[in-house]
Amino acid sequence: MISKINKKGDKLISVYWFAILVIVAVGVVLMVNAFYGNPYDVRQIESETLADHVANCIYYGGQVNPSLLSADGVFRPDFRDNFMHMCFLNFSVEGEFTPVPYYIEVNFSSGINDFKNVFGISEGNINLRPDCYISAGNMQNLAKCTQKEFFMKSSSGKVYAVKILSVVSKVTENTNG
Amino acid sequence: MPKRGEILVENIIFIVLNVLFLTILIIFLINQGNGVSTLEDAYSKEVALLIDSARPGMIMTVNMQSAMSVADKNNIPFDKVVSIKGQYVTVTLDANQSKSYQFFNDINVSGHYPERDSSGKFDGFYILAFSKKT
Repeated sequence: MISKINKKGDKLISVYWFAILVIVAVGVVLMVNAFYGNPYDVRQIESETLADHVANCIYYGGQVNPSLLSADGVFRPDFRDNFMHMCFLNFSVEGEFTPVPYYIEVNFSSGINDFKNVFGISEGNINLRPDCYISAGNMQNLAKCTQKEFFMKSSSGKVYAVKILSVVSKVTENTNG
Repeated sequence: MPKRGEILVENIIFIVLNVLFLTILIIFLINQGNGVSTLEDAYSKEVALLIDSARPGMIMTVNMQSAMSVADKNNIPFDKVVSIKGQYVTVTLDANQSKSYQFFNDINVSGHYPERDSSGKFDGFYILAFSKKT
């Protein structure tokens, strides 16, 4: 009698054990799909790299780019006009109607305390700029932004505050959205 | 005596099914991590980010050993896995699909080729050489 009860109990445990295994398997499959189903989102790193790239182009090793300021310390408009070429940037995309996934903005302010904008450069898709100031529920579908600020000292001794804003969209390549 | 044998068979079946379950689970996990699209996505982004951070004169080596084993399985020559055209890096690990990723650095990728070991075989590393655009 006792052995019969034990046998029934063993079978019952086996059924429950396999039910648990199935639940675990389904859980693992769902979690793995959620993890590998999403592409790697590298936009934040990319926007930081873009900001660093531009910062190095403007001010590298304590020296202002000689094409940016004239001998008498005036910002040269031709640097703005040829910014992409001067800073070795290329935002060209494949396809006629593909929007540019990058935006870069550089603002120069005079003085340390008096932030008066004296010169500005912007390139790329300006429509991405508002994404940096939106706080929405699903932030994944918005472009990623990086803001960098530093001071640069010209050869004439004048100090400028430099603000760089870099934006990378590439939503389809980096999300499931 | 016959009862003991019955218990042993039940236990063996139970253990075998458990082992089978774990094996299937592990194989599934390994296959997911080494999936063609996962690797293509990861490597195309990795190479694009390396190009973005490159400066003229640099030579970079990328470890692509897991890509090489998948490419070999799918009969894709390893020297055809990475291609750079315009501002796009394309990684192909399957004849039916590939992944491209754009980079912003206007630099000349003067060479992108797989490294070979002393016997002349590919060792799973890719070399990227950079020079200034003229």
